[in-house]
Amino acid sequence: MRIAVAMKPVPDLLQIRMKDRRPVLEDVPVVLGAIDRSALEIAVELKEKTSGHIVVLMAGDGRLEDTVKEALAAGADEALLIRDARLNGADGSLSAHALAAGVRKIGPVDLLLFGEGSTDNYSGQVMSRVSEILGIPQAGYVRDIVVEGETLIVTRSLEDEEEILEIRPPAAFSVLSEIREPRIPSVTAILKARKKPATVLSLDELGVGTGSGAGVETVSTLAPMTGRKGERIPSLEELVRVLRKEAPGGGA
Amino acid sequence: MDFQLTKEEQLIQGAAREFAEKEIGPAVEEIVSSNRVPEEILAGLRELDLFALPVPEVYGGAEAGYVCYILAMEQIARVCPGVAVILSVNNLAAAAVNIFGTEEQKKRYIPQGTRGDTAFSFAFTEPGTGSDPKQLAATAKKDGDHYVLNGTKRFITNSSYRGPIIVFARETETDQVNAFILDKFCEGYSVSEPWNKMGVKGAPLHDVYLRDVRIPAENVLGGLGKGFWILKVAMALGKIGISSIFLGAMLAAYEDGLRYAVEKTHRGEPIAKFQAIQMAVADMFMKYESCRWMTYRLGSLAERAKDKGDILKDSAATKIFVTETAVDVARISMGIHGSYGVMEDYRISRLWKDVIFGPQVEGVSHLLKVLVAGEILRK
Repeated sequence: MRIAVAMKPVPDLLQIRMKDRRPVLEDVPVVLGAIDRSALEIAVELKEKTSGHIVVLMAGDGRLEDTVKEALAAGADEALLIRDARLNGADGSLSAHALAAGVRKIGPVDLLLFGEGSTDNYSGQVMSRVSEILGIPQAGYVRDIVVEGETLIVTRSLEDEEEILEIRPPAAFSVLSEIREPRIPSVTAILKARKKPATVLSLDELGVGTGSGAGVETVSTLAPMTGRKGERIPSLEELVRVLRKEAPGGGA
Repeated sequence: MDFQLTKEEQLIQGAAREFAEKEIGPAVEEIVSSNRVPEEILAGLRELDLFALPVPEVYGGAEAGYVCYILAMEQIARVCPGVAVILSVNNLAAAAVNIFGTEEQKKRYIPQGTRGDTAFSFAFTEPGTGSDPKQLAATAKKDGDHYVLNGTKRFITNSSYRGPIIVFARETETDQVNAFILDKFCEGYSVSEPWNKMGVKGAPLHDVYLRDVRIPAENVLGGLGKGFWILKVAMALGKIGISSIFLGAMLAAYEDGLRYAVEKTHRGEPIAKFQAIQMAVADMFMKYESCRWMTYRLGSLAERAKDKGDILKDSAATKIFVTETAVDVARISMGIHGSYGVMEDYRISRLWKDVIFGPQVEGVSHLLKVLVAGEILRK
C-alpha cells in the first residue's frame, strides 16, 4: 500500500507567549502538528501490515528539511517538500492546490492521510479540498482504519454515533488524534532519517499557478480575554447560591 | 562556535524527555521505594536505543556520539537519576571493551550492553581502596591457560543484573594490575545485599565477591599491563555520564524551585515578586546554564579525542563542578520552598538526597581536584 501523509509544520504551542492578545512567534521552534503525528502513526501501522511505502508531503515557506526529519524518524520512507514564499500564511485553498499537485507528482497513492485539523489554524478544510481536486473519495473524523483485502474499513467518530464505512482505495481521510498515539522514535531511527530522500520543489515546479492563490484574508487573530471577577462572598450559603447561578444551565 | 543543537540532537533530546516523562515519571515512587527499575522501563529504554547510544552500530548500538548521549542522559536523570546511573555504568564499560577489546571480545560482550535485560558492570573499588590503584588487593593467579580471580569489589552498579563485568585485579606473579572481562554469575561470583544508600535509588550498589573465579587467559582486556590505561579512559568516560546525570537532577531542582516561586503566593502575590526569590531564581539559572554548556562541551571533546584518556582533566573538572553545583542549586531550590522543602511530599526533598551523591561518587571532589591540578601543573 502506497500512503501519502500530509503534515503541517506548526509553531511549538508549548513555547508560544501571548503579548497584547497576539501570539509571539519569534524564536519559536517549528514542529509537526500533534494530530498529524497520529496520522503518520496509523500510516506506519498500515505500512508494516501491507509492506507499504510512506511519503510525507509538507508545504510551507520556511526551511522544511529539518522539520521533516521527525516524520522520517517516526517511520516515513521519503518526503516531498513544497517550499514557496507564496505559502507564507497560505489559506486552505492554496495549501490544498499545493498538496494535490504534490500527490500527483509522487505518483499513484492508495491512501492520503491528514490530521483532522492543524494545531495552529485548525480550519479542517484541506483534506476535503485536496480530495475534491484529485477526485477521490473522502472521509473525516476517522478514528480507525483496517485493511481487509482490497477494502479499507474505516470507523468515523461522529457526535452521537460511530459510522463504519467500506471504501476502496484510493481515498483521502482526515483522522482524529485518538486514532493512534504517536511513537517515540528510537535514536537509530532519528540518525537514519537524515539518509532518507527529501525532495524540495516550488509551486512553479509543481505547476501551481498564481490563479490558485489565497481566497481568504485573515483580518485578525486574538486570544480570548480572561479575567477574574475578584468578588468577595460573605458566607457559605451565598457561595452556594452564586455557584448555582454561574453553573452551566444556571440556577438548577 | 555554534551553540545550536542539530535537529538530530534536538530529536534525541526530545525522545528521551518524552520517554522519561511518560514512562519513567509515573514509576518513580515505585523505583525509589523498591530501589529497582521495572523491567518494562528497561525494555523501553532498549527499544529507543538509550542503552546503546555511543556504542558502534556493528555491535548493536546507535553510534550516536557523546553529545547525544549527554542530552539523553540529562533528560532521563531529570526524571529519575537512578535509571540514568544504570545506563551510565553500562555505557562506560561497553566503551572500554570497544576501545580495548579484541574483535572476539567485542562481538561477544558489547551486544550484551545494548539489550536492556543484561548490563555491564565495572569493578575497580574495593573495601580497602576507593581511588588508589596501588592499594588494589584483588588477585589474578595464572593457572595454565586460565586465571583464577579472588577478591571483593565494593559499590558495584548493575552487579545484580546478568551481563559482563570488567574486573581489575593484581596478577600474583608480576604484580601488574590487569583488567579482565567475565560473565557475572559465573561459578564463584556472588553479590552482597544492596547497600542501603540514601538517594539515586533504582540503581542498587552491591559488593561483588569473587571466590576462585576461573576464566580463560584470553579474557584479559587490552593486554597485560594495560590496567591503568584502561582505568584512566574509563574514568574519563564515566565522568561524562555522571556529569550528565547530575546536570539532569540539577535541572529538575531548578524547575521545581521556579514552579514553586511562581505558584506559591504570599499576601496574594506570587513569591517570585519578591527580590530575595528573584535572586535565587537568577542564581539557579546561571548555575544550570554554566554547567549545561560545560557538560555539552565535554561531549564534544570526547567525540574528537582519539585517546579518550586525554580528556580526563576536563572530564574530572566538569564532574566536580557539575556535581557540586547541583548541590548548590538543590539547596537554593529548597530555600525557595521554605519549610515545604524538607517535606517528603515535595520532590525537592528527594532531589536533595540525589544530588548530595554527586560529589561523593566516581572520585570524590577533593581527590579529583588534585588530579586536575596535577594535569595543569605538569604542563
